[in-house]
Amino acid sequence: MGQEPYVEEYAIQAGDFSAIGEASTKFKATLKMLGIASDLVRRASVIAYESEMNALIHGGGGMLRMTVHDDHLVIEASDSGPGIPDVQLAMQEGYSTATDEIRELGFGAGMGLPNIQRNADAMEIDTEVGRGTRLRATVAFKQG
Amino acid sequence: MSGGIKITESRCRGCANCIRSCPTEALRVIDGVVRLLPDLCIDCGECIRSCKDRAITVNDDEWDLIKTREGLVLMADPAFYVQVGAYSRPRLMMEALESHGYNDLSEWASLAFDLSAFASAKIIREGGENLPYISTYCPAVIRLIQMNYPELVGRILPVESPLETAVTIWREETGAKENVTLVSPCPAKATLVRNPVGRKRSSLEYVVSVRTVIRDMLACNVKVTGAKTRPVSGRWLLWSTSGGEARHIASFFDKGFTSISVSGLRNTQDLLNELELGRLSGVDFIECRACDLGCFGGTGTYESRFLSQLRLNNIDAEWMPSSEEMERIRHWHDRGVWELAAPVVPRERLPLSKDIKEAMAKLREMDAIYADLPHIDCGACGRPSCRALAEDIVRGQGDVSDCVFKMRERITQLSEEIQCLSSKLPHTLHTGRKRRRS
Repeated sequence: MGQEPYVEEYAIQAGDFSAIGEASTKFKATLKMLGIASDLVRRASVIAYESEMNALIHGGGGMLRMTVHDDHLVIEASDSGPGIPDVQLAMQEGYSTATDEIRELGFGAGMGLPNIQRNADAMEIDTEVGRGTRLRATVAFKQG
Repeated sequence: MSGGIKITESRCRGCANCIRSCPTEALRVIDGVVRLLPDLCIDCGECIRSCKDRAITVNDDEWDLIKTREGLVLMADPAFYVQVGAYSRPRLMMEALESHGYNDLSEWASLAFDLSAFASAKIIREGGENLPYISTYCPAVIRLIQMNYPELVGRILPVESPLETAVTIWREETGAKENVTLVSPCPAKATLVRNPVGRKRSSLEYVVSVRTVIRDMLACNVKVTGAKTRPVSGRWLLWSTSGGEARHIASFFDKGFTSISVSGLRNTQDLLNELELGRLSGVDFIECRACDLGCFGGTGTYESRFLSQLRLNNIDAEWMPSSEEMERIRHWHDRGVWELAAPVVPRERLPLSKDIKEAMAKLREMDAIYADLPHIDCGACGRPSCRALAEDIVRGQGDVSDCVFKMRERITQLSEEIQCLSSKLPHTLHTGRKRRRS
């Protein structure tokens, strides 16, 4: 019983700014039910929120999946957007390719990826121009 | 830990109006009577607002007993002073209190609120990473943050409620030992006395609602002129209106001070959501009040909140404290009496199980139960939502048949089975070859 991980998926619709934060709010509620410590919940929800934003702004929508294991959780975001040509550049704080329109909404400050990295214990980006981007971030539950 | 809400079971019809008004889903209707889950309650008073039968009220201490004491000491909330048209100025209200023989602590309250604003301004100025800070004043908001926004507890100003500080200063300055009764506009401040956050014990002993005291005073019909009392600063009284606290803090700022003030639970929740998502950069201070328009919109008040606001708008507040006042503020600031003794910590919700594997299994079970429910959150099962019912079921506090829709399905299914059974013939009545053979 309970050996297989708990999985929760969420579809992100392109350009649906009214639904911002919905996925991360749901993930947060799940983690609280599971009794995950609040600072880990905070980190996971930041990762989920930023991934959600990235998929929304750059990826043209996509999927967000949270997998909870007994000692860690993984948040995966995938989109079939334009891909990231230079990951190192994209990881720099303040670097952003968001349009002025997006910036006017108060987003696109170039903090997304750096913020994910700051809150994750491990992060991988698999991206190719024209194919899309897959992001995988892990948060470990400390023992004790 | 609720302490501000009182349920009178004999008045409850089990209408379930209240359960959906609760922002933390802390109410259930079980066996026709509303029940409060104290672990989830934040004492905001929304249920009091939604109850048409006055079965839910502010949990007052026995005023009839308290008021008989000689030299009763009252610490009245700022909202108290704008409640009655006949005593349309706060000074008149203070005089009315005194003519009843009550000792009113407004003189110390005025100082404590100044001190609180002064200390807050100092912390915010040094803010840095923690900006925007969140006001500590509304106890319901603090509890909401502890419960639903645990990520934000670090932003709560480590400044104690000036209602507490006022009593502390009064005791130190006068050496008085008498018990103090808070006159509270809401259940949240009643919990401030009974289950304080950030300190072990409240400096106040009893609590009664503004409505109770005002009704009593009106019954006595005291004539006042305002001549007997000293004029008081209006600064602290404005804390009962949305934006008053922020305005007070701003008066201690020489440079720019950016604040957002909201009132009402919906606005509060929306603002905290935005803050949690990191959308409020550039803001120094956030003032949230759970009640519409501010504390005079509380469920323990007497007067219409609109008229209270009208009266408040007519108060002249001199925003610059006099030099003597400033000296006292500095003195008590250095003494540190305004400081919250302990940091505000998140209130962890009881997980489905302490063991994560078991919790995951239960969560899966809960998802399956939920998927099968009608998802219309009708409340007929006594729970605020289908999700809450699913959760209660896996926690062993409910059954799927509590759902009227599921029960109807069950009945249809059973009646079909009965129909099916009734068409079966007993073996002894079977017609066929057996008889022909014999």
